[in-house]
Amino acid sequence: MDPVVQARLERFKSTPIDGQVLKKLVEAGLVWLRVNQQTVNLLNVFPVPDGDTGTNMVLTMQSAYNEIDSLGHHNVGQMAAAISQGALMGARGNSGVILSQLWRGFARALHNHEILDGPVLVRAFAEARDTAYKGVVRPVEGTILTVAKDTATAAEQALRETDDPYEILVRVVPAADASVQQTPDLLPVLKQAGVVDAGGKGLFFILEGMLRHIQGEPLDTPSAVVQPISAMKLENAMEDIEPGQDFEVVVDFVPAQELNLQNFYTELETMGTSIQVGEGEGMYRMHIHVPTENRNKPVDYIMGLGSVTKVAMENLVAQVEDINKKSAKGRIELANIEPGQIAVVTVSPGPGISRVFASLGVAAIVEGGQTMNPSTKDILDAFENLPTNKVIILPNNKNIILAAQQAKDVTVKKVYIVPSHNIPQGLAAVMHLNTDGDVEAVATRMTKSIEDVIAIEVTTATRTVEIDSVSVEQGQVIALVNGKLAVSASSVEEACLGALEKAKTDDYELITLFYGEDLSSAEANRIVDAVRTAYPAQEIEIQDGGQPHYQFIISVE
Amino acid sequence: MGEETTTLGTIRISPNALATIAYHATLTSYGVVGLAPKNLAEGLTATITREPAHGVSVHYNGEEIDIDIHIIIEYGTRITSVADSVANAVRYQVEKALGLPIHHVNVHVQGLRVSNPG
Repeated sequence: MDPVVQARLERFKSTPIDGQVLKKLVEAGLVWLRVNQQTVNLLNVFPVPDGDTGTNMVLTMQSAYNEIDSLGHHNVGQMAAAISQGALMGARGNSGVILSQLWRGFARALHNHEILDGPVLVRAFAEARDTAYKGVVRPVEGTILTVAKDTATAAEQALRETDDPYEILVRVVPAADASVQQTPDLLPVLKQAGVVDAGGKGLFFILEGMLRHIQGEPLDTPSAVVQPISAMKLENAMEDIEPGQDFEVVVDFVPAQELNLQNFYTELETMGTSIQVGEGEGMYRMHIHVPTENRNKPVDYIMGLGSVTKVAMENLVAQVEDINKKSAKGRIELANIEPGQIAVVTVSPGPGISRVFASLGVAAIVEGGQTMNPSTKDILDAFENLPTNKVIILPNNKNIILAAQQAKDVTVKKVYIVPSHNIPQGLAAVMHLNTDGDVEAVATRMTKSIEDVIAIEVTTATRTVEIDSVSVEQGQVIALVNGKLAVSASSVEEACLGALEKAKTDDYELITLFYGEDLSSAEANRIVDAVRTAYPAQEIEIQDGGQPHYQFIISVE
Repeated sequence: MGEETTTLGTIRISPNALATIAYHATLTSYGVVGLAPKNLAEGLTATITREPAHGVSVHYNGEEIDIDIHIIIEYGTRITSVADSVANAVRYQVEKALGLPIHHVNVHVQGLRVSNPG
């Protein structure tokens, strides 16, 4: 032991443990536990992972301390009884109740004693353990109960070497620590989670606090905790990134001599946040978030401590932006349907088009896939579990109308099929959706509206053919107007413009163009610009439809 | 109860299965030193039939699942905290096993046991 610490301990040893000394020890245990409260909370997985153990134990200890704060008793037995009473009244959570039981047993052993000497202390640890174990029919090992048991055993062993209660405490605390470290071997759920038992750790902190008190060590900064590397939480929880933390730095290293954890932490705390230290086979892993200007500091510092084996650096800000972009693209928010409302089920060939349908209040989208050929079951699954009986299906393809009909026959729900042959018709129909309206009336209105829109589909011909006096060579770009082959051309732009002309677009007001996955947005925009030039009087909208096969799906209305 | 229809058929989870999970969650909760039968009749039946989960009853009214637990608590512990822990543990274990939410977990403290002092 450090000679300074030893000297402080000697000074304490001259003071017998009476009620007032016990009060100070309880206070020290409480303070140290409170300071390390979060550590204990984070360990909590058993019996229920509610992250409460640290807080519950602090509340229990606080209640115990509140009971004795104003007491002037020198009789240690009376003081202990009051502690026990306070703990009982304030016991919170599983660990809090066990802690209160420990104090109850402890206090019983101290009954009628003025002073807490070595032998009485050992008996008190044993009685605490016994009382705690009595309070449950199936004690679970690998918890605070085990730590209490091992502490009592260590106390008994210590008594063989010394009968000084302070010395016994000095020996008991490392034993408690060792017991805590072993809890994962006794309780599988701890091992799976890669943590030690929270309640056990809490009990250790209480004892360690008392030890630190008699060794004159500070109780205000939390213990630098080293965890097994497997338990380190290194995936960035995006919400945890604080402003000013730009880089994540992870350094694997082997220290040249034993690492002074407290100094290590203190030094790292001047560089950044979210510091975690993990220990593995003869090496350590340090994790930290730093602002850009500090990005090299952790590595430089650690290089001075030993040999660095691996460094990983990741730009956090870029990561967040990337994820935001991806999730914005990926998420499609469908309408939330209340019972009694109308749920619209639509078939969509691409994500962009799906998003447009979703924004118009559609309740379910069936992926049309490459061939726009969902099965009856696909359609049925889309609406069967929705909390409403009123369903309108928009097949958006001639071939799917049959599958939709079959789905309608199989279900007990009230299904109306609006016979949309293509996406533009489907979109035009959805515009007339009133989720709270009468389903038959809405369906009728939708059906009428599909006649108002002209649909142009632009794709590549797979065969050489002549239809409707239009001759097509395989590989040419063709455009269908309302399902009929209208134009064949050598470029997408030509096909679009030709089809728009055939559709007499001058008589209409709005042109919406959905470009497919085969076109880049630059290419699509170029073509749409040509359309704008050709039709200056019309309103023109461009959307990334993402559909396969069709370079463009155009709706003219 | 807890019925689920899959493409292969129907899955039904019986109240007894849930009761057993709740029973074990209760026994490992701190402060519980035993489960108590609701009444004399149940107590006799339990002795005769060696029912797996006496002291626990599961009710399903077609929509919600409620669980009632009848326990004996160790004298000298904080009763509300123990009862709370039991309710939490039962809810957590049953919901985890079942994959469905439980509506109410009601804990009834039927008595206290005073252990031999010393």
